[in-house]
Amino acid sequence: MRRGAVAVMRCGRRKVAHRKIPAEIERVFLDEETIAAQVRRLAARISEDYAEIDDVVLVGVLKGAFIFLSDLARDLTIPHAVDFIALSSYNKGVVNTGAVRFIMDTRGSVTGRNVLVVEDILDTGYTLDYLLRAFQARNPASLRTCVFISKPDRHQVEVPIDYLGFETPDEWLVGYGLDYADRFRTLPYIGILKREVYE
Amino acid sequence: MGLQDDVARVLIPEDELQARVAELGRAINEIYTDGDRPLLVCVLKGAFIFLADLTRHLEVRHEVDFMEVSSYGAGTESTGVVRILLDLEQSIEGRHVLIVEDFVDSGRTLAYMARNLQTRGPASLRICALLSKPSRREVDVELDWVGFEVPNEFVVGYGLDYAEEYRNLPFIGVLKEEIYTKSG
Repeated sequence: MRRGAVAVMRCGRRKVAHRKIPAEIERVFLDEETIAAQVRRLAARISEDYAEIDDVVLVGVLKGAFIFLSDLARDLTIPHAVDFIALSSYNKGVVNTGAVRFIMDTRGSVTGRNVLVVEDILDTGYTLDYLLRAFQARNPASLRTCVFISKPDRHQVEVPIDYLGFETPDEWLVGYGLDYADRFRTLPYIGILKREVYE
Repeated sequence: MGLQDDVARVLIPEDELQARVAELGRAINEIYTDGDRPLLVCVLKGAFIFLADLTRHLEVRHEVDFMEVSSYGAGTESTGVVRILLDLEQSIEGRHVLIVEDFVDSGRTLAYMARNLQTRGPASLRICALLSKPSRREVDVELDWVGFEVPNEFVVGYGLDYAEEYRNLPFIGVLKEEIYTKSG
């Protein structure tokens, strides 16, 4: 019905014109083009590594991974399924002991399949470590991880990262799936949050 | 690659899709204010790509939350009532809620979801659907924004799947008939 009015402008994926940067953001850390280029590189590597492999399923960890996953999936040239899980840590707000609770499990079984876990951020590593152990117990054909942002200074447990977007210093990053109390999650770039916002 | 070979024709090319998503984003920006802080509710799995792109165009402050539902199976589908596998993390009482949907077919599930959310007392409840197939509609659902109306064909891509594949095609395509008839 509104199709007639559509094709007047060309708008490539991930290119957004002038958006004002919220006052809470110190500065842009990774801009849209840098992010898109790195996602394409990751997708090219994954497509190559999995070229001869059937039954690949990308498992996105909610909420944060949905933007990264949506871009990564579109850049992949291999057939694959997509699934989601939602996890929550116990003792929210206090010291993270690493105990994790499944809020929602995957829709499909991962047994015998080639699983690639897609995470927006690896912070302490507790969540991903737990998830990998839980998945491993289900006997997948293979199990790998693709993490967009890793903060090595924050890692408490060692988690294998097979495909990594960026290593970053220990700053509060928001955007491209990363949030501060659910805010700023959908900024198309990754910005550094001002200290005064969270301190 | 193989996936594209299964597509009989492109119904909505990537450029056109992206331009329309940008338009929808601008239209949504005009309705809400930063103070409204609308909550975008995405019903998985199909809508996650549309949601990711739509939010890139939102200037207005907003948050996102997810739901996943599944059918109770034979005999219950005509009611639209579904089982909630993942509920919203947040309470929506007093919030401005925008359901972000990839595809409206019979409209039954969406109508049920809207009724379900309405009982929680949101300040407002609107629906933004990327694709609508009016010829298949069985119940009235008011869609506040529609990206495209599509004919009654088997469409895949941009979140829409057939047997869990083709979701990642960056355009909307019509699946070849031999693909979905051979496996029943």
